[in-house]
Amino acid sequence: MRRVVMICIMLMALGASRAEARLNVVCAYPWIADLTARVGGERVKTLSLSRGNWNPHFVVPRPSLIAQARDADLLIMNGAQLEIGWLPPVVRESRNARIQQGQKGLLDLSSSVTLIEIPADVSRAGGDVHPEGNPHYALDPHNIAPIAAVIASRLTLLDPEGRALYETNLSMFRADWNKRLAEWDTRFSALKGVKVVSYHTLFNYLTRRYGIVLVGTIEPLPGIPPSSRHIESLMIRSRSEKVTLFLQDVYNPSKPARMLAEKTGARMIVLPHDVDAVPAAKDIFSLFDTIAGRLGR
Amino acid sequence: MKKIIFVIMIICAYRLVHAQEAVVKSETVPRKNAYNEPISAPFAQGKFVPDISLIADFSIAARDIGDERYAALEVPGLIHAHGHEEHGHEHAALNAKNGFNFNYAELSLYSVVDPYFDLFATFHLSEESFEVEEAYFTTRSFPFGLQLKAGKFLSSFGRINEQHAHYWDFANQPLVYRAFFGDHGLLEKGARLSLLAPVPFYLLIGGEVLSGENEVSFGAEGFEDETGANSVDDAVGPELYTGYIKTSFDLGNFVVLMGASVAHGSTRINHGVDEPIADNPEGHAIHGITSIVGADLTLKYLLDSYRYIALQSEYLYRVFDGDRYDNLGAKAELEKEQSGLYIQLIMRLAQRWRIGFRYDLINKNEIKAGGAAADLPENLVRYTGMLEFDPSEFARIRLQYGHDRSSYLYEGEKKKINNELVLQFNMAIGAHGAHSF
Repeated sequence: MRRVVMICIMLMALGASRAEARLNVVCAYPWIADLTARVGGERVKTLSLSRGNWNPHFVVPRPSLIAQARDADLLIMNGAQLEIGWLPPVVRESRNARIQQGQKGLLDLSSSVTLIEIPADVSRAGGDVHPEGNPHYALDPHNIAPIAAVIASRLTLLDPEGRALYETNLSMFRADWNKRLAEWDTRFSALKGVKVVSYHTLFNYLTRRYGIVLVGTIEPLPGIPPSSRHIESLMIRSRSEKVTLFLQDVYNPSKPARMLAEKTGARMIVLPHDVDAVPAAKDIFSLFDTIAGRLGR
Repeated sequence: MKKIIFVIMIICAYRLVHAQEAVVKSETVPRKNAYNEPISAPFAQGKFVPDISLIADFSIAARDIGDERYAALEVPGLIHAHGHEEHGHEHAALNAKNGFNFNYAELSLYSVVDPYFDLFATFHLSEESFEVEEAYFTTRSFPFGLQLKAGKFLSSFGRINEQHAHYWDFANQPLVYRAFFGDHGLLEKGARLSLLAPVPFYLLIGGEVLSGENEVSFGAEGFEDETGANSVDDAVGPELYTGYIKTSFDLGNFVVLMGASVAHGSTRINHGVDEPIADNPEGHAIHGITSIVGADLTLKYLLDSYRYIALQSEYLYRVFDGDRYDNLGAKAELEKEQSGLYIQLIMRLAQRWRIGFRYDLINKNEIKAGGAAADLPENLVRYTGMLEFDPSEFARIRLQYGHDRSSYLYEGEKKKINNELVLQFNMAIGAHGAHSF
């Protein structure tokens, strides 16, 4: 019995020391964790609740996530209802008053970007719709630097002593990012007018930014797997519209895209949607490098 | 002439618009769409509407015995066919009839109350009744990982008890749960305090004080036998206590969740002890102390974003120690020692397809009345298999086959093997919160 008590005390002490060392930031997705680590530097400890190769809509709310959210000083989420299916029970059951809705410890990044494709008519007859708009805004590289600034200001709000560090890190990041952004702009702009099909409306911020034309999606409606009839009609459309690229994500079945690409003489490429979705996309810079590389090949 | 009037109208309209623009521009704080939308709705409360959802459950059942004989099935010493009407309300068990069944509709409301509380309510609707299944609040800002829950709610005992019927992996509940807690599960009025322990893994410790009204294992209403010789008073205040500990960790894509639970409380069950022997020759009642302990284990391996394999099992053990009363004024010592388990394997093969198998077992069924052991069957089993097609996250179509070797017909205590096929439709609309693991 005494040994059990001792172990409990030791574990509690471990938990406590971990929490007080620095600002503990829990992020919904790996790209947010990477960005936060760049801005926060050594004052911030970050972790991502989901993994980069998972469908961001369907993360399994394992109890271990609740334990991770318990000690968070700040929870940064993608928002626009991308996490609606898994994060609410994690936040509620974390018993962490700091990260509840309305508190400074909850940051929804979607409120700092302009969302596209806001549905005029919200009905599940249209599949798994997001009433606030397309939530995959992180795939427009022009959205990243403003988001970094929002993260920096929230870190400063929670940890005013770190202001100088956060500001320095932010301006360094911005300088690096803008340099690379000019390069990506050139590479992506070369794809203007190229016709593509994706599985889900996952890359729409990217295609829209650079004038890449999305002809259709393999899923007939968001969250609804394709029927053979839909694939058939998509094949006819892809042929007539001269689609050259099928953009495949890492978590949906790639069979339909591979088959369509083969039959229409187009190319299927697997694109990462998040940091760690593929081994090459190991941080936010290499995420866009990988996308640009695979698209441009 | 018409043309001139038209031109004048256009000029007027132009000037009007520009005059308004000038007004808007002169304001220091520009308002979005200030001239064609009402600026304020000072008493509007539309944004405070809670999350509302409705889940409806229908089924078509086919079994090899008629509805009346099915309703009369019992598990000796555990499930009494005549028990259900007696606790005041009457709604059919799930999939009770051959042919079409409307099982239930579940109306749920949830909202934040204020910075300190959340409120949840679930209404169980059957064809003729509207019941408050759950209505409870939880605290939002207790310190040290503590949370208080109070009201009427499903106890956190075990793994499956807290889950609503629409979230079950099968169209009916495990045999041992139905045997120990009845069709509604352990659903009680009371309060719960739980602690999410400050350790680097998931460790939840909780305790509940409950009114103990469960009609199968506990019960708060006293009774007096027909002769007036013996009587038991009503419970004064809560007489059921539960405690549980749950822990979970991940090994890569492998999720382990384990729990241990205990429920301990007083038992008062009246099966017609107050009726004359001529009306009810079997009239009896029991009073004593019941303890139930449970252990649960869930292993889930996540293959990718859609596919998984999940093994889940629970073992429940019940001990009763008290007295049995009959309607002739007799009282005898009564002891029960019963236990059972279920093991289920669920596989999600693709985004829309799930398949599952469940094995139910009552492995111990010992009852001693007045020191003499009753001759009750043990090792009662039931097998259940299901195939599920989920067109979307909001619709579920399930085909279930059950082979039940646990049930007996009351007349002559004859074992009746029951085969059943259930086609179940479960649909959800509205704002229904995401489920926990």
